[in-house]
Amino acid sequence: MRYIRLLGLFLKANLLVELEYRANFAAQSALGVLWAGLTFVSVAVFFTQTDALGGWTYEQALIIVALFTIISGAVRFILEPNVIKIVEMVRTGAMDFVLTKPANSQFLATLRYAQYAGLADIAAGGAIMGFALHRMQYLPTLPAAIQFALMLISALAIVYSIWLVMAALSFWFVKIESLSELFYALFDTARFPVTTYPGLVRLLLTFVLPVAFMTTFPAQAVLGLLDGTTLAASLGLAALLVLFSAWLWQRAVLGYSSASS
Amino acid sequence: MWWLRKYIALGKAGWALIMEYRAQVVIWMTSSLLMVIMLLVWLSISSEGAVNGYSSADFITYFMVGWIVRNLTAVWASWELDFNIREGRLSPMLLRPIHPIHNDIAVHWVEKLLRLGIVVPIAAIVLLLTPEVHLDFSPLNILTFLVSLIGAWLIVFLSDYLVGILAFWTSQVGAFINGFFGIRLVLSGAIAPVAMFPPAVQEVLRWSPFPYMLNFSVDVAMGRLTPEALLTGLIVQWGWALFFICAAWAFWKIAVRSYSAVGA
Repeated sequence: MRYIRLLGLFLKANLLVELEYRANFAAQSALGVLWAGLTFVSVAVFFTQTDALGGWTYEQALIIVALFTIISGAVRFILEPNVIKIVEMVRTGAMDFVLTKPANSQFLATLRYAQYAGLADIAAGGAIMGFALHRMQYLPTLPAAIQFALMLISALAIVYSIWLVMAALSFWFVKIESLSELFYALFDTARFPVTTYPGLVRLLLTFVLPVAFMTTFPAQAVLGLLDGTTLAASLGLAALLVLFSAWLWQRAVLGYSSASS
Repeated sequence: MWWLRKYIALGKAGWALIMEYRAQVVIWMTSSLLMVIMLLVWLSISSEGAVNGYSSADFITYFMVGWIVRNLTAVWASWELDFNIREGRLSPMLLRPIHPIHNDIAVHWVEKLLRLGIVVPIAAIVLLLTPEVHLDFSPLNILTFLVSLIGAWLIVFLSDYLVGILAFWTSQVGAFINGFFGIRLVLSGAIAPVAMFPPAVQEVLRWSPFPYMLNFSVDVAMGRLTPEALLTGLIVQWGWALFFICAAWAFWKIAVRSYSAVGA
């Protein structure tokens, strides 16, 4: 309960900051919508030449685009601002103040900041999803909707864990901007159904880098095409990664000896 | 040849700077991984037959040459300009007897040497392993390709610089630079040959500066253009290059006149 109240306070404090810099908020929101549009175009251009991409129709592929945009938005909303701060705090030694506060350090470090412009991406993703569903004249059944909710939660948990690992690594390597660049470069593969890629890349994106679990499988859930095994695998993977990243964070914090002196 | 001496001096200093950040440069290059992803997706379609006149080999050639062109035209001068203006660091640069843009140009070009050393061997190996690659290696075509490459570089660099100049008036330039980067990515042909767009879009794009930042040079290298199309293309490209030279120069003049540094 205390943590939910804290989270509410953080969001409120961030909102006040955001209201202070309205031009920045407007510009960043417009940017989010623009990039959502560009992602849309980068996928739609294939359908001027073909009817199916890796067995996915135009409308079905748009569900993946929508999820790609929503997850990018979530990253921009919460993960990126916090991880950037963590890296900075480790470098300057301000991490001391986080660690001495009477609350879980992982919670404090990863959920403290928010960039509200990320909500524009999420809204744009929702609009693309609505557009695709409307074009198909399709409404997910209740079981499909529940499956989708579970898949989306595990997708977000997987992405959160990856960013937490990057943040933890910054305790040892200090400079990790490069890692987030790498994350974005690889995450770019998530804008297409994983079945589009040739065999080896597809295996890599499913079993080594869990990109398929971020967009392709949740999109299958929306369409009611998901099998139980994938659902279980997704939930299992998410749980595993959350535990692993939390463990790594603990290790990183325990080994932290502040900057300077 | 006063300017050559200056460029060599600036280039040497730039090389030391780039060597300092060499790991970073390689990381920045991962952003062009998107082109590889797009290539893979195009190949998934073209395996069932040519798409709009592009066979699988054509797609591989297009994206490999395009990858080289994109790396040769990578720019970040606008970010530096924005940073220098906001932090008030531009003032000492303005006092130098040489326009700050020359330093940016020199650093960009020496950085390209590093990129070329990585990109060209990889692209060459891929192309050598691909059967039925169509590239036109006649001396005249190589010359035309180089001319188109310089044109492409001028358009990309100066249009980006022009966006950077906006920093004299607004503090939100980061969003403009990033947004312009995205538009350039899609319309220059980095995600798909412009020939894949709907005909009406192609007709509009033909007169815009975007295809001349990448797509046009690749078409030249692949020998896909008729002599007339080639000539028209070069004229439009260099027309835009001249336009951006003039626009960047004019806006710089206006901006600097009203510029009052932060701090001091």
